[in-house]
Amino acid sequence: MRDPYSVLGVSQNASDDEVKKAYRELARKYHPDNYQNNPLADLAEEKMKEINEAYDTITKQRSGGYSGSSPGSYGGYQQRSYSSGDPVYANIRNLINMGDLNQAEQLLYEVGQKNGEWYFLSGSIAYRKGWMDEAMQNYVRAVQMEPNNMEYRQALSVMQRGTMGGYRPAGYSTGMDAMDCCTTMMCLNCLCGGGRC
Amino acid sequence: MFGYVRPFRPELKCKDFDLYRATYCGLCRCLRRRYGLIAPMLLNFDFTFLALLLWEPEEGFTPCRGRCHANPLRKLPMCPDSPALELAADESVILAWWKLRDGVQDEGPIKGLPARALSLLLRPAYRKAARRCPTFDGTVRDCLAELSALEREGCPSLDRTADTFARLLQSAAPREGERGRVLAQLLYHLGRWIYLADARDDLEEDRQSGRYNPVAARYGPAGDDGALRLTMDNSLAQMGAALQLGDFGCRTALLENIVYLGLPLVERAVFDGTWYHIKKQKIWRNDT
Repeated sequence: MRDPYSVLGVSQNASDDEVKKAYRELARKYHPDNYQNNPLADLAEEKMKEINEAYDTITKQRSGGYSGSSPGSYGGYQQRSYSSGDPVYANIRNLINMGDLNQAEQLLYEVGQKNGEWYFLSGSIAYRKGWMDEAMQNYVRAVQMEPNNMEYRQALSVMQRGTMGGYRPAGYSTGMDAMDCCTTMMCLNCLCGGGRC
Repeated sequence: MFGYVRPFRPELKCKDFDLYRATYCGLCRCLRRRYGLIAPMLLNFDFTFLALLLWEPEEGFTPCRGRCHANPLRKLPMCPDSPALELAADESVILAWWKLRDGVQDEGPIKGLPARALSLLLRPAYRKAARRCPTFDGTVRDCLAELSALEREGCPSLDRTADTFARLLQSAAPREGERGRVLAQLLYHLGRWIYLADARDDLEEDRQSGRYNPVAARYGPAGDDGALRLTMDNSLAQMGAALQLGDFGCRTALLENIVYLGLPLVERAVFDGTWYHIKKQKIWRNDT
């Protein structure tokens, strides 16, 4: 296993607070919410596991071998799993999770009656492929047909947030919204083009 | 390609600016050394970004000094040849060639004359590059052929047309291991974003000349800026998520600047029409 301190990117003699801060930042970065239905979700999960282990190891070492669940740990994050009543849809969900999109798409086309879940799954496949426009249209349809379904609404709201959701490193998170028209113009001139440097 | 992929300078640290510039100049030099004197003409920001992505994360930034192609009296810091720069150079030659061929086919015998002449000039370079990256060459040819077929039939799906260009750019990075997966996802959405930005940029021009435009085909002749912007933002979000999973060593901060600040600003400029003025600007007008 890698040195837990280098996993968190802090030095051996960092204070407890610094360790915690570094851990929190990384946990925010690799949080499963940022990688929902993302083809790279498994990589994010691995990273999350790695930093959780590193943080646990450090807290254990520092508390003199006391083993207990560490306070700030995001430890047992449970992936919200939704299940499907229909076995065909359950199968399709499985295929999507495994990344077998062609097979999932084919099974979905064989389903005769299109309900909210059909559109939701169709949207999920499109989203995974990176076909964001189609994903959006399908999610909208799904929510229209079953407005009370939290799963569909959540998927749609993630897309409606655009770049405002998800993780951004410190320093990149603010500013863009607050800019008025005039500042934008000034900034645009600075896109590695205008003026001298 | 198009020059949409730029860093946002006020937020760049000096060292990252130096890194960007040296990579840009290094790519220029690499093009010249590999493909002769006209190749630096193909130099652009987009492939500089590609080179930055492809660089091995362990490799630090150690510029050497070389003569500027545009002004041989000046010596500038530039990245020495490396596998990343060489791949980016090979691929920019291949893509430029196929885009030229596309232009020759689209335009008539007279209007296509400049493209024809240029492609004649570029032919030896292209043959060399195609020998070096046969897979990329094949993918570019196929994807562009697919794209022009979709354009001819007036495809109404935004995703389907953008997908061809996205897959084209996706194939620019080797697909090996975890790093390959991260790059593939990032480049797919970059390609999609570039294609859509370019389509939005051409909307007015295409409308006047009656050419096919994917944005018009999807949303109607006036387009729908809100919806288009959202779908482009979704691609940007996917790029950010992928970027965080890769290891890019000392190039991380620069890449983050481009993805989180540069691209959104370019997007904004494309939508409000100011892009037209920005894209023509010369790049390094400084006297250092």
